[in-house]
Order: sequence, then C-alpha cells, then structure tokens
Amino acid sequence: MRRKVVPVAWVAAACAALLSACGSQSPPTVQIPPSSPSAGVASEASNPYASLAKLPDWNGVWDVTFRPPQPGQAPAADPKFTPPYQKQWDKFQALNKTQKGLNFVSEVASCIPPGLPQSMTQPYPIEFLFTPGRVTILIETEGLTRRIYTDGSPPPESPDPSFQGTSVGHWENDTLVVETSAILPETSPVNGINGHSDKLHITERIHLADPDTLEITTTRNDPAVFVEPYTTNVYYKRHRDWKIMEYVCEQNNHDALDANGNPAFSLKHKPGE
Amino acid sequence: MKLRNWSLITGLCVASLILGHSARAHHSTAMFEWGTEKTLSGTIERYEWTQPHTFIWISVPGRQGKMQEWGLEGMSPSWLGRRGWSLHSLNAGDKVAVVYYPLKDGRPGGFYVRVTSPDGKTLEALPTRNQR
Repeated sequence: MRRKVVPVAWVAAACAALLSACGSQSPPTVQIPPSSPSAGVASEASNPYASLAKLPDWNGVWDVTFRPPQPGQAPAADPKFTPPYQKQWDKFQALNKTQKGLNFVSEVASCIPPGLPQSMTQPYPIEFLFTPGRVTILIETEGLTRRIYTDGSPPPESPDPSFQGTSVGHWENDTLVVETSAILPETSPVNGINGHSDKLHITERIHLADPDTLEITTTRNDPAVFVEPYTTNVYYKRHRDWKIMEYVCEQNNHDALDANGNPAFSLKHKPGE
Repeated sequence: MKLRNWSLITGLCVASLILGHSARAHHSTAMFEWGTEKTLSGTIERYEWTQPHTFIWISVPGRQGKMQEWGLEGMSPSWLGRRGWSLHSLNAGDKVAVVYYPLKDGRPGGFYVRVTSPDGKTLEALPTRNQR
C-alpha cells in the first residue's frame, strides 16, 4: 500500500502546484531554446521585420525644396490641359500677373487639407515609417497620414474617395513606386487648378538622388484634366535632427477665405481669448 | 563638402530666389503689401506660438497718445522653431520694434518680418539671403 500512496501524493502535489500556477497572476515563462549557429539571423518567415533590413535608409525628416532644371535638363513645361481646364489655368495665370501673391488661393487657407499630390509639397516636412508590408508617410501639414500597402495585395475594388486616396506600392530595387487612385474630386491636382475627375491616378517614384536628397517623380493622369500625363520632380533635403511637430490648423487661423472664396485676413482674437 | 552638394545648394538658392515666399506659405499673400517694409514700435501684449501661424498682438501709441492694438501674423512655429525662435522669444511687456508688411486695406495688421528688442538683438522671421 505504501508504494501506491507515494505516487498518488506526488500527483496530488503536482496538481496543486499546477492549479496554484494557473490561478496566479504571474505570466507563464517561455523556455528559450539554446542558440544554434544560425539563430542570430532571423528569417523573414519567422520574423517579418527582418524583411526591412534590405530597404534603403530614409530615416530622418525630409523638407521639401525646389530645384530648377539642371544643366542639360529641359525646363519644366506647363501641363497640357483639356479645354475647360485650360480656361481655368489661363484665368489663374492672368490673375497672378495683376494680383501679386494670389497664387495660393485654395481651400487649404481655410484649413481644408490638401489632397494628393499637393499634400506632398506643402511648406512643412514629411517622414517615412517602414513596417512589414507597408510604408507610412507622415505629413506635418494638417497632420496627414498616407498608408501605402506594399504586401502585394491588390487595391480595394471601389474605395471611398479621400483626400490622400488609396495607395498600393512596390519596391523596384531602392525605388518605391506608389500607385494612388480614389482621390476626392474637389482637390487640386496642380497649383492653379481646383478639381479633377474621379479618374485621377497618381504614380510616384521615390528614391534617393544622393545620400541626403530624396527625389519624388510624380505623374498625374486624368483624361478629363490633362491631354497627356503631367510629371514633376520634387526634391527633399534630409534633416536627421528634426522632429515632426503637431499641426492643428484651426488653432489660430486668420487666413480663411471670405464668402466669395477670395483671400482674407481676420483680426479676431483666437478661440478662447 | 562634395562638389555635387554645393551644386545642389546653389540650385536651391536660385530656386528660392525664383519662387520666393510663395513656396513657404499655406495661403495667398494677396491681402498684404508683400515686400513693403513698415516699422511699428510698441509693447508686446501677447505672443501666440500657434498653428498654422504665430501671431503678435502689440500695443502701439496712436493719435493723441491713445494706444491701439495691432495684430501681426508670422511664419509657423514649425518654420521659426527650426531657425532660432521659440515660444519664449517674445513676452508680454517686451518693448520691441517690428518690421512688417502691412495689410492692403489699412486695418492695423500685417505680416511680421523681423523683431528687434531694446538690447539691439534682431530675430529674422522670413527667409533672408543667408537662410536661403
């Protein structure tokens, strides 16, 4: 009998210990296997973040700059518009000759965010975040966020239009190629033109032109607006020591357009004063 | 510095000169006499370190010694903060001289360009030739 009692006692003690452990708040411990010679290199299958190691270094904050045509390059040509948009463009150009400083008349002055691609050339900087299957662009102006899915999944079939549109991307060596559609038709595809069709499609090719200069080549395609695709190059300077700041446009905006959509300036004190 | 970097910087300078302030604003500047410098001397009432623009409220002696409040818009905290300014650069009670571009419609307001305190220290609030 004694031989049988002892094992039962051990089992009871083990069960008690187990129940005690299950009822406690302490987290379960995980046994870490001893390292093998290859354990230091995580595979992409076991750790998706390992896939990020081969991407280019775009760390830091990027401030938009404008570079005139370089020697040997042709000067940037005006877009070629369809008749209704050519009319809008001509009117805008004529007004700019007579009213200095009129060139930024848009709802952005009234704190309506810029849509793509104008959101990428605002006066304040941008930054990039790489996570597995996605690139995120954070734009300081208006605190905008662009989510670019790079996991190979197709874009949604009929996404709701939005200011930044719906983006998918892929890497061609060190160049990120972004395709965006479903951009709200009331946004501006190029300075001086307000509005476009629901067919506006933007292709961006983003790469390092030199170690601290990012080049974005942006092609706008919308048969309702442009007779042929219109492409621009914009350059960004890297600032590794800058931080993106908060931006709340409604905090103290004195520049909202007047009731007729013209530039205005308010001398009212800010809310709460 | 590598030659190509100098080329780039030179290019950026030229581009800044061509594009001027228009590349650095989120709205039209048509309501101001842009480029026409005027000067106000007075006492800071409030300095608002806010988005999308900073704002100076300043009390200025007007006709017959009556004080008048002026409102002067400036570049954003984002732009100024990266070029030597902070929310403590101007404080209520500071006596300063402000160079500004006036409103076209004659109201007491404008866009501030630089501020000089009594000790002679000047803060630039728009791109200068050196900052371009």
